[in-house]
Amino acid sequence: MRTFADFHPVAQAAYFAAAAGVAMFSMDPVVLALSLAGAVGLCALTGGLGSLRWQGGMLLLFLVLAALNPLTHHDGVTVLLVVNHRPITLEACLYGLSAAGMVVGMVYWFRGFSQVMTSDRLLVLLGGLSPRLSLVVSMALRYVPLFGRQWKKTQQTQRALGLYREENSMDRCRAGLRVFSIMTTWALENGVITADSMTARGYGLGCRSHFRKVSFGLHDGLLTGLSLLLAALALWGARSIAYYPRLLAAPMTLRHWTGYAAYGALMILPHIIQGKEALAWRWWNSNR
Amino acid sequence: MAMVELKQVSFTYAGAASPALREISFAVEAGEMVCICGATGSGKSTLLRLIKRELTPQGQLTGQICLEGVPLSNLPEKVSAFSVGYVAQRPDEQIVTDKVWHELAFGLENMGLSQQEMARRIAETAAYFGMESWYEQPVDQLSGGQKQLLNLAAVMVMQPKVLILDEPTAQLDPIAAADFTATVHRLNRELGLTVLVIEHRLEELLPLCDRVIVLEEGRLLTCGAPRKAVASLTGRKELLLGMPAAAQLHHRLGRSGESPLSLTEGRRMVEALLAEGSVPSQAEAESSPKGNSQPHPQRTGAVTGALPALRIQDAYFRYQRNSRDVLTGTSLTVQPGEIVCLMGGNGSGKSTLLSLAAGLQRPQHGQVEVFGQRISAYKGQSLYQHCVAMLPQDVQTVFLCDTVSEELRQGGCDLSALPFDLTHLMDRHPYDLSGGEQQLLAMARVLAQQPRLMLMDEPTKGLDAGARYRLGALLQRLKAQGMAVLIVTHDVTFAAQCADRCALLFRGQVVSQSEPAAFFRENLFYTTPVSRMTRGLLTGCVTVEDAAEALLDKARDQLSSAPREVQNQ
Repeated sequence: MRTFADFHPVAQAAYFAAAAGVAMFSMDPVVLALSLAGAVGLCALTGGLGSLRWQGGMLLLFLVLAALNPLTHHDGVTVLLVVNHRPITLEACLYGLSAAGMVVGMVYWFRGFSQVMTSDRLLVLLGGLSPRLSLVVSMALRYVPLFGRQWKKTQQTQRALGLYREENSMDRCRAGLRVFSIMTTWALENGVITADSMTARGYGLGCRSHFRKVSFGLHDGLLTGLSLLLAALALWGARSIAYYPRLLAAPMTLRHWTGYAAYGALMILPHIIQGKEALAWRWWNSNR
Repeated sequence: MAMVELKQVSFTYAGAASPALREISFAVEAGEMVCICGATGSGKSTLLRLIKRELTPQGQLTGQICLEGVPLSNLPEKVSAFSVGYVAQRPDEQIVTDKVWHELAFGLENMGLSQQEMARRIAETAAYFGMESWYEQPVDQLSGGQKQLLNLAAVMVMQPKVLILDEPTAQLDPIAAADFTATVHRLNRELGLTVLVIEHRLEELLPLCDRVIVLEEGRLLTCGAPRKAVASLTGRKELLLGMPAAAQLHHRLGRSGESPLSLTEGRRMVEALLAEGSVPSQAEAESSPKGNSQPHPQRTGAVTGALPALRIQDAYFRYQRNSRDVLTGTSLTVQPGEIVCLMGGNGSGKSTLLSLAAGLQRPQHGQVEVFGQRISAYKGQSLYQHCVAMLPQDVQTVFLCDTVSEELRQGGCDLSALPFDLTHLMDRHPYDLSGGEQQLLAMARVLAQQPRLMLMDEPTKGLDAGARYRLGALLQRLKAQGMAVLIVTHDVTFAAQCADRCALLFRGQVVSQSEPAAFFRENLFYTTPVSRMTRGLLTGCVTVEDAAEALLDKARDQLSSAPREVQNQ
């Protein structure tokens, strides 16, 4: 079954760029609400929303950001209440809500992106640009956790060998520094062996090719094209909105309706793909 | 035409006074599997690195090395890179990329192959090595054995003609090592691949080899069929210690002719000896019974009455809240003046138990007491001052300095107390040493802590047979001074040599413990080669000495009983 996560990384990247890109340049509350809903929906679809605590954190972030604007900006004509001789205005509140929605929406978009774009898919994406760059990224992806683990192991060993024996924090600091310094040596030395292993396998003998596992098919083209088209439509139909001094939006026309509809469609596109596949699966099962 | 041929090859490292290799000549035919052995520092790795041109160290090379009749220096870059495959000792550091599939593709990408060709070769290789189930995994989730198999597969995917392996199983547990050796043998047999392998663990490997090359101090000592070559090693005690148990017994008994190698051959030899009822007479002369030159460990037992050095009582431990228990009610006691060897499969909790004993982890339930005091009662770092010291599994984590001499000085090590010679390594960086040398240096560093309880995680890893034996003797000496030692090891022969008590850990519990003779006699799988070889033929033989002694005793009995029979007639 071909889910959204199985599309070619280029197609997925196009989708994310389209969906998040439109929201990034819009302060239209409708678009931002759609974007937030779409991002949350995509996360739920691809890899789960994460823990309840994380959702709580996001909610807190949303509330803090939304509250921050009216407390610091006092433009706008509709005064709701006065705190410390400062007016809290309706417009600043609305602006705060929109901005918070945009930021939290972006966080969810990036969460979804990292869930879909696993390291090897990122490599395919970069491999298209340069096989060398993709190798460097791949090595870094392996190296960073390796380094962290070795560091922890070294600290433990040194503790058991009495390196951190002195009680005062200055000496502990010094011991920590020594471990850090040997870790840099370790990294270099490790790098030499890795380099040996690379030369032994003929690295650097010219023309390096790239082994991709994923080919760019028709449906990948379709997803890419559709994403870009819908994003273009959404931008074309964007409604100009001013928050200050009072909320002012251009009157709705067919063009604006098209824009909203296009962005809405973009948001549910992954769900449509998934739904279609689920239907196809059911149909295939019932006709067996 | 020989696949690999060395003609009068000598090599001197840049800046070194004496040559590392002197006038080595031999030829390896296509499809041969050749084992290269010799003590640490005898020039084995240097030799192999000379054959892999890309890895040739800096220095002065004389003589000629040919691959299929062409001198290496005349080979085109691509041919030399892709037709000689090389796998080294440490599994982790040879891996370049972060995913299994990408590692397999790495060499092919360097060859600049088309995607179709790459896909075909990778699929084929992954299937041959049985890697389908972990093909997509990140490399850091693999076990050590899997990593080393991946290194082998990543070389084999380039379809080399010669495979060079530099102690490939030194860092692996015995099961993974046997698996790796079997795979290499399969490659050699099924694909006609030429294999040159350095190894200290010869029990399984040597019977599979077509030829063995023994180096001693940079010189070629012998080169020939294993049975003959091993038989010619008479008198070289340290080299013989590394040979398979059957061969050691053969020498022990002073037998002449071709040496047996595998356990089956050894068993046949013992059977034949028992049937003949006589052991060749030279044996009597060579080994004076009981008081032989290699002191049999005296199992004096622990100092009783004193506080136990380590007492772990009903310990439960897990690393994360949601993970399973690694230790499930483990109890273990180590007395002062006692060496306890802890054995068990991978993931049975051996290393975890050590880190608990070292106070690096606290059990969630149960108690750990060191010299009668709970670990938490040790204030600050007092636990690590002349009390507990640990030799970790990864000995690289021990080193903090840039040279061996500085490392030894900082640690306050007393070199004269060690049975190893480290003086020739003084100016080298600890990381530049071979695995075995690193192990010895780390040992020196840990011993300098003057612990009363020493914890060791796989102390014999990468050591050659001589060093392993001397380590055993050193531990006996320290034990006599009252030190308590807890060793986690897979090395059954070492455990049989030096332990007072062996314990088997299974799924986080100590399921059996007894003194080594009984322990290995009762075990069917977790036991020494000699015990397997003599099972049902001789009673209670665990080490080569035991078996030799038992056979000689039988012969003596028969000799003394023979005249009586004559009288009776």
